[in-house]
Amino acid sequence: MSREVSTAADPDLPTEELHKKSYSSLYRRFILLTLICSVLPLLVVGWVIYSNYSSFAYSRMEEFFYRRVEYNRKLIELFLKERTNDLQLMAATHSVNYLGDRSNLQRLLEKLNQEEAYFIDLGLINEEGKHVAYIGLFDLMDKNYSQTFWFKALTAKGGFYVSDMFMGYRKTPHFIIGILWSDGNKKWILRATIENEFLDSLIGNVKLGETGEVFLVNREGIYQTSPRFGGKIMDKSLLPIDSFEGEGGVRILEPGESRAYKKQPSQVVGYAWLKEPNWVLVVKQDYAEAFSDVNHANTLALVFLHLSILAILVVSFLTTKHMIGVVRKRDEEANFLNRQLMQASKLASLGELAAGVAHEINNPLAIILTESQLVRDVIGDYPDFDREFKTELTNSLSQIEDQVQRCNQITHNLLRFSRRSQAVPGLVDVNACLEEVVVLLERRGITSGVEFVIDLDKDLPQLMTHPSQLQQVFVNLIANAIDAHEGKPHGTIQIRTRANETERGAEIMIADTGSGIPQEIIDKVFDPFFTTKPVGKGTGLGLSISYKIIKDLGGTITVLSEVDKGTEFKIFLPFGSAKTGEGPADDSRERI
Amino acid sequence: MTVAKESEEKHARVLLVDDEVVFTTNMSKILSRRGFEVRAVNDGESAIEAIEDEEYDVVVLDLRMPGMDGIAALKVMKRKRPLLEVIILTGHGSVESGIQGMNLGAFDYAMKPIQINELQEKIEEAFARKLLQEKMARKSERGSH
Repeated sequence: MSREVSTAADPDLPTEELHKKSYSSLYRRFILLTLICSVLPLLVVGWVIYSNYSSFAYSRMEEFFYRRVEYNRKLIELFLKERTNDLQLMAATHSVNYLGDRSNLQRLLEKLNQEEAYFIDLGLINEEGKHVAYIGLFDLMDKNYSQTFWFKALTAKGGFYVSDMFMGYRKTPHFIIGILWSDGNKKWILRATIENEFLDSLIGNVKLGETGEVFLVNREGIYQTSPRFGGKIMDKSLLPIDSFEGEGGVRILEPGESRAYKKQPSQVVGYAWLKEPNWVLVVKQDYAEAFSDVNHANTLALVFLHLSILAILVVSFLTTKHMIGVVRKRDEEANFLNRQLMQASKLASLGELAAGVAHEINNPLAIILTESQLVRDVIGDYPDFDREFKTELTNSLSQIEDQVQRCNQITHNLLRFSRRSQAVPGLVDVNACLEEVVVLLERRGITSGVEFVIDLDKDLPQLMTHPSQLQQVFVNLIANAIDAHEGKPHGTIQIRTRANETERGAEIMIADTGSGIPQEIIDKVFDPFFTTKPVGKGTGLGLSISYKIIKDLGGTITVLSEVDKGTEFKIFLPFGSAKTGEGPADDSRERI
Repeated sequence: MTVAKESEEKHARVLLVDDEVVFTTNMSKILSRRGFEVRAVNDGESAIEAIEDEEYDVVVLDLRMPGMDGIAALKVMKRKRPLLEVIILTGHGSVESGIQGMNLGAFDYAMKPIQINELQEKIEEAFARKLLQEKMARKSERGSH
C-alpha cells in the first residue's frame, strides 16, 4: 500500500531506483540460494567419492605391492632352497672320498648345471678350512677359508649357510652356499658359489613402470642385487631398513623421511624379509606413478566436478536473470496498470468537475436566453420604434442567442464527456464519439494552424464497446496529431471512418501531416513511458494506454509513419455480437 | 391540432419551480405574454403549497434545488395531483435523474438553456395531454356510475 501511495505522490525516479535496488538484491539472493543448494551438495558428493575412491585405490595398490613382493620373495626362497637341496643331496649321497676326487666333482658340477649354469664353482673343504678338491674358473686350491666370515658362521650354525654378497678372493660380487656335515669323526664342508647375475635375472628383470624397481638388500643395507636406479650391487642402500618391521608389508616413504630421499618424490615401498639369508626384498615405485591411474581418475572427476559447477553457475545465472526479467516485467505491468488506473480516475474526476461546471453555466445561460426573449417581446410591444434601431437590436439579440447556443453546445459536450467517463460498455456511435472529441480539440487545432478534414461513413453501425475508453483513445491520438505539427505553420488532420464488411469491423483512421516518427523508434511508440516530448510535457502513456484499450476492446491499432510527411494511425474494431443497435435506450440518450 | 386549439381557448395554468429567481421572473413574464397563466415559486416546499392552494395544469420543475429537490417534489405532486403534467427542466446533465423523473411520471425532460418556443411547445403538448386525460377520467367516471 505505501508503495502505491508513494507512486501516486511522485511519479518517476525514486520508485524506479528503489525497484532497481530490490531487483539486484533479489538477484543476489537467488544466485546465493542456487549456489548453496546445488554447488555445495555437489562438492560434498565429489569430496566423498574422491576420498572413498582414493582409499579404495590405495588398498588395492597396497595389495598389489604386497602380492608382488610376496611372489618375488617366494621365487628367491625357492631358488635358494633348490640350490641348497641340490648340495645337501649331493653330500648325502656321495662319500667324502668320491667327492674328494676332482674329476668326480667335475661330473657332479656338470650334473648340477645341467639345467642352467647356476654354480660357478664347487669345492670340498675340510674342517681346517682347506680345499680338498675344487672345480671352477679360479685357482683357489691353496686358499684357507678358516678365517672367512662364512666359514665361521657355518661352523657355528651347522647345517647349511647362505652368505651375503661379497667380493672374496676373486673380486667379483657373488655369494656362496655352504653345507656342513660330518661323516663319523670329521666334519666336511661343501661350498658352491652363485653369481649375482642369477638373482638379478630372477628379480632384476621385473619391470615396474617408469620408476618401479625390485631389489634385495641385506640387514646392513647393502644391495644384494643391482637396483635399477641410484646405485649398484654391494653399494650401501639409502633405504631406512630399520623401519621395515615384521615379515613384510607395504608403506609409503615420504620425502624427507630419510635424508637421502629428501629430493625424491614419495615412494610406495613393498618389502618382505627372506628367512635365509637375512635379506629383504624391496619393490619400490614412485607414488605418483603407482597411483597414476587413480590420479588420472581423480583428475577426471575433478574436471567433471568443476565443469558441473561451471554449468550450474552458468545455468543459475541465466535462469535467475530470466526470472528477474519476468518479475521485472510483471512489476512494470503492474506499475503500468496502476498508472493507467490513476489516469482513469483522473479522467473520472475531471469528468465530474466538468459536469459541475457545465451545470453551473447552464443556469445563467438559461437566464440570458430569457432576458433576450424578454427584450424581443418588448420590441414587439412598441411598433413605433425606429426601424433601423429595431433591426440592429434584433440582430444583436440573435447574436446573443447564437452565442448562448454555442455555450450550450460546449456544456453539452462536457456533460456527455463526463457521463461517458463513467459509463459501462454499451452501443456506441463511433462517428458521434469522434465528432465530440473533434469539437473538444478543434480550438486547440486551429491555434496550431491545423485543419480537420473529416470523412465519416454514415452507414457505420454502432459498436458494442466502452465509450469513455474509446473517446480517450481518440483524444490521445488527435491530441498527438495536433502536437506533431509543432514547428509547422499549418497542416491537416484527416479523420476517416469506414465499415469493413469483409472483416466485420469498423476502421478508424487518424492521419496527420506532422513531423512523423523515425523508423528506428516506431516499434517503441506503444511502449509505456516512451515519449519524444520534452520532460514534463508527455507522460509516455497516451499511446500505450490507447494500445491497451484497443486491445482490450478486441481491436487492433497500427501505425504508419514517414519523417516530415506525417503519421497515420489505423484502428480496427470488430462489430462484435451486437452489430447494429436500434434499442430504445439510444433514443433517450440522443435526446439528452 | 384540435387539441391545440382547445388549449388556446382554455389558458394553461403553469407553475414554474426553480431556485433561480431571475429565471422564474423572466420566464413567467415571457410565458404570460404567450397567454399562459403563470405563477413562479423558488423551492420545492412552496411548489407543494401552491398546487394545494390552486389548480395547475403544467409544472415546469427544476431538479436541483436547495431544500426539497425536484425529484422529491415530483413524487409528492404526482401523489396529490395525479393528472398534473410535469416538465423537468434542468441544467444538470445526468441521464439517471432524467430517467428517474420519467419513471415517476414526468411528461418530459429538457435541458437548460432551452429555447422559449421549444418550451412553449412542450407546455402546450403537456396541457393537451392533461385535458385529454381529464376527459377520459370523466368518461370512465360516468361509465362506472
